Amino acid sequence: MSDGHEFYFLEDRVEAQAVDLRLLRRLLAYLRPHKALIALALLGLALGTACQLAGPYLIKVIIDRHITAGLFPGMPRWVAIYLLSLAGAMGFLYVQMLTVSVIGQRVILAIRREMFSRLERLPVSFFDRTPTGRLMTRLTSDVEALQELISSGLVSTVGDVTVLLGIAAILLFMNPALALVTFAVLPVLVLFVEVLKKFIREANREMRRKLARMNAFLQEHVSGVTVVKTFVQEGKSDARFETLNREYASESIRLTNYYSLYFPGVELFSSVAVALLLWRGGGQVISGAVTFGTLVAFLEYAQKFFNPIKDMSDKYNILQSALASCERIFHILDMEPAPEYGPARPAEREESGDAGPPEAVQVSVPGTPPAPRADSTEGDEPRPAIEFRDVWFSYDGPRGDARHGGEPVLRGVSFTILEGEMGAIVGATGAGKTTILSLLCRFYEISRGRILLFGRDIREYPGDELRRSLSLVLQDPFLFPGSIRENVAAGGPRVERALSAAGVAGIAGSWEEGLDTQVGERGGRLSVGQRQIVAFARALARDPRVLLLDEATSSVDPVTEHDIRKALLNILSGRTSLVVAHRLSTILSADRIIVLHKGKVRETGTHAELMEAGGIYRRLYLLQFDG
Amino acid sequence: MSSLFGLLIPWMTRDAIDGLFAPDGSERLARAVSWMLLFAALHGSFRYLSRRGLLVTARKVELALRRDVFAHVIRLPLSFFRATPTGDVMSRMTNDVSAVWLFLGPGVLTLVGTVISYLLALTFMLRISPLLTMVSLVLAPAVILLSREYGRRFHRLYRKVQEALAAMNATLQENISGIRLVKAYGLEEKEETRFAANCDGYYRQNVSVSKNSAVFHGAIGFLAGSGTALVLLLGGWLVIRGRLTLGGFVAFNAYLAMLSFPTMALGWVINLVQRGGSAMGRINEFMRLPVEPSLMKAQSSQAPEASLEDTPAPECAKEDAKEGRPALEFRDLSFAYGDGGRGGDVLRGITFSVNPGEVVGLVGQTGSGKSTLLSLVLRLGPVPAGAVFLEGRDVNSIPLAELRRSVSLVAQDPFLFSDTVLANICFGLPSGDAESARRAAGHARILAEIDEMPEGFRTVIGERGISLSGGQKQRATIARALCASPRVLLLDDALSSVDVETEREIFREILSLRGERTILFSTHRLASLSHCDRILVLSGGAIVEEGTHDELLSLRGTYFDLYSRQMLSMELEESS
Repeated sequence: MSDGHEFYFLEDRVEAQAVDLRLLRRLLAYLRPHKALIALALLGLALGTACQLAGPYLIKVIIDRHITAGLFPGMPRWVAIYLLSLAGAMGFLYVQMLTVSVIGQRVILAIRREMFSRLERLPVSFFDRTPTGRLMTRLTSDVEALQELISSGLVSTVGDVTVLLGIAAILLFMNPALALVTFAVLPVLVLFVEVLKKFIREANREMRRKLARMNAFLQEHVSGVTVVKTFVQEGKSDARFETLNREYASESIRLTNYYSLYFPGVELFSSVAVALLLWRGGGQVISGAVTFGTLVAFLEYAQKFFNPIKDMSDKYNILQSALASCERIFHILDMEPAPEYGPARPAEREESGDAGPPEAVQVSVPGTPPAPRADSTEGDEPRPAIEFRDVWFSYDGPRGDARHGGEPVLRGVSFTILEGEMGAIVGATGAGKTTILSLLCRFYEISRGRILLFGRDIREYPGDELRRSLSLVLQDPFLFPGSIRENVAAGGPRVERALSAAGVAGIAGSWEEGLDTQVGERGGRLSVGQRQIVAFARALARDPRVLLLDEATSSVDPVTEHDIRKALLNILSGRTSLVVAHRLSTILSADRIIVLHKGKVRETGTHAELMEAGGIYRRLYLLQFDG
Repeated sequence: MSSLFGLLIPWMTRDAIDGLFAPDGSERLARAVSWMLLFAALHGSFRYLSRRGLLVTARKVELALRRDVFAHVIRLPLSFFRATPTGDVMSRMTNDVSAVWLFLGPGVLTLVGTVISYLLALTFMLRISPLLTMVSLVLAPAVILLSREYGRRFHRLYRKVQEALAAMNATLQENISGIRLVKAYGLEEKEETRFAANCDGYYRQNVSVSKNSAVFHGAIGFLAGSGTALVLLLGGWLVIRGRLTLGGFVAFNAYLAMLSFPTMALGWVINLVQRGGSAMGRINEFMRLPVEPSLMKAQSSQAPEASLEDTPAPECAKEDAKEGRPALEFRDLSFAYGDGGRGGDVLRGITFSVNPGEVVGLVGQTGSGKSTLLSLVLRLGPVPAGAVFLEGRDVNSIPLAELRRSVSLVAQDPFLFSDTVLANICFGLPSGDAESARRAAGHARILAEIDEMPEGFRTVIGERGISLSGGQKQRATIARALCASPRVLLLDDALSSVDVETEREIFREILSLRGERTILFSTHRLASLSHCDRILVLSGGAIVEEGTHDELLSLRGTYFDLYSRQMLSMELEESS
């Protein structure tokens, strides 16, 4: 709740407040596995820079020894050396660029995978309150920004610094006095860059804020286009959009102006430096204090010296926004996974302690056939399969919203379904039916009470054992893109049996490619009814000990309705199941009907018993099915 | 201009250097350096002006383009929005417009700069030494060919990167949407493997881009350097032979260095041009779609009188005097959604009329066609000619703006903008009017709650502000509709989240205005219908019963059935 709040807050921040050392240190940890590659990259960088910086010096040698001396013989050799150093520079550049990119990509790969696996294990309530788009941004744009930082920002900054220091060293070595002349413009240049950088950063931030506002407006008007149309407000929307558009444009023009000043400005400084160099250096050449080659080399170095400075403001922007992204990424990585992924809670009560060991043995045998209805070998009494004992539960509202958070959805729910039984939950909309299935899957943690599966508290099941014993079919069956067969196989290994039991084989004939038909995005190429049948098969494919089914309310055509009914009765018979039932045929075949009303179990029994009792069930029945 | 001055700088370098070896060295040096400084200043200012001019113009084009795209898209028919994913619409209005700017701004700037630099630099270089120029240009075709080849290759590679990215994002999106399923089936690890495969694919594509890019940069750098080496060798020889001055030699090298950047940038510019072109194409796909027509010419032309807007349709004229004209009339209206086809006719042979000031209720189960019927009055879908009439005029012959100003529809699903309460309620008015907003909010029974909000009518609601409950949203949308003071009010189950008591109060308020307004509303709460003059029962897209509440009850048909169920469920509701 409180961390949800922070999460929303972070969304609005475009840049990190300052360069956070903790953040950098944590980021560096990701670089550690790639030590060898980093060493290679640094080596490439060092050698490449050395070769590159050797160029002007070689030119100096050529000029002094040959050109001004008027000696042609031997000059081709120096030119060859020059060419060689160039080839070396480019070769090392290649090595460095490639390794740096590979390092960046690998780090990103690791972070992305880590984020995904964390995401998969976050509690369902997190997804309830976080919009999909926001999560997508975390895993896409933010990770991209980080990649930018690692592959172009970090390393090229190191490269730039190396070049700057290298040139400074060479210049000082060649001629300290001339070197100081070259650096003379530096203080002014740095001041110029710093001042403009501040403006650029501010304009950049402002522009991005304006852009976000404009895009939000666009998004909203695309989603709410019906309202705009019904109130004939196209003209007014145009005008309002124009305002936002202009604000954005004026910010971006401001930024353009700064940049228009920035690049020519830096260039002007470098020209001034060259002029100064010529002035002072030229005088010394005349007086013979400096060779002509040295002067030319100085000119060349000065040019190379100002290039990295030119890019400095861009680099800083990249760093800033990448660090902000980094912060958001680590925020997700720092979130606690849902409790069910943690170690199983140690047994607290003696009864579960007793039931523990034999259970574990039974479950660990893969493909154990479902316990047949009323297993006679165990004794006369079938054991309880699902037990709710005084369960209380309330959803945490989004952002800890008291309005929804305070209201318990389940208030002291208790019921038992025996092994091999089919239980049906009925009740009006909002009674808490679907919640019961979610709780049994441990999507949410209950506030009070206990939920037992085969006599064992669901919190004591280790790892994925709990969910392995259950199969859930959701109301709106979600299919993954892929073929029908792939979707069923996602449930478990018993694909063929499941396909025939659910009757998929029967309907598959109507598709051209049969079971290899692609279901499309979210199963969109199948009808609702067909999706349900495929979902049944998926649930059966794992041969679950308990089947949980949230029956769909949506109406389908009579033929599909018939298919679904047939498939349902087929898969439910002889299996422990708990069904949120909407169809009369399903309710009638239940062994035990649980009538849920406003978060409480009001009645339990068979259809006949409940009808005779004349309570809520009877009225519900008359309401929904009579007539 | 800026290029010219930029290129004059090396020229002065030549003068300066040549001066070094002349007798009046110091003087010539000083002159050359001062010229250089002047040229540098001029180059800087002109460069600033040209950059500014070009980029600002491009920004202005972007501004206008974005405005036009928005104005066009928002006027496209609803069927377009049903058929096009929001993400697609958004990406064309944002990314594609930006791509066009990148082409027009930095793209054109670089392109023009490159061409001018080339021409001028070549002129200067030719003046220094034609021979050296020829030699240095030997490698230029190779550079250009290489840029083009790699430009194409990068284009292909980036597309693959995009595809890999899309695949990765699709997996991500599915996993977020289907998280319950993933958890219920313990698919976490399997999905991680799948995602890891996606990531690997993306990684491989990116590394292959990096490999190519590293080769490209290396090769270009080497080619440019080789040019320098050639010039060094030949130039050095020429200087030794005395056929070239030392200054000329150094200046020539400077020009060569100046050309290397634009040459390399050429590939980047080509890429920008390609992207800008395809983005413009995608934008034009939208711009070519016809907007909602103000008048349905094709259909209204079937009736010759329709062009004269005041003339009522012929059948109407003979039976009614002008005042007695129904506010709303449906004549044998049948309708099917064009796209799905699976559903068949949503409405079949609907015929009824609503008199001015009358209040008519519509009931029927979900999917019986109520929402479609109401939306057609506003021409939110294609209306067949001669089927729907507002005050005696075929809705197809009424200009869209006039039609929608006369009729307000409050939809089932309340949509509010992230804006102040005032702006939301006054959405249908030209500007915010506190007076009318208060009145409308009062009628919609939301005034007290608005006054309790932190900043009253100025409170921002929606995504960026405080969130309202479902009932508050619905009442706000009703206030919004009332504020627009339409002659006909259509309520599409617009009070479903409002409790029964408040609903009754709102109806009482609205009904007190009944003299001014004609109301057609659909609802699932039959209790609210007792205020109606008439009730229509819709089933399977057709009207099956019609009459007052009592009349319909006595029929013991569909309405009676619905009513008894509702009574039962209310009983159930109270039995907790």
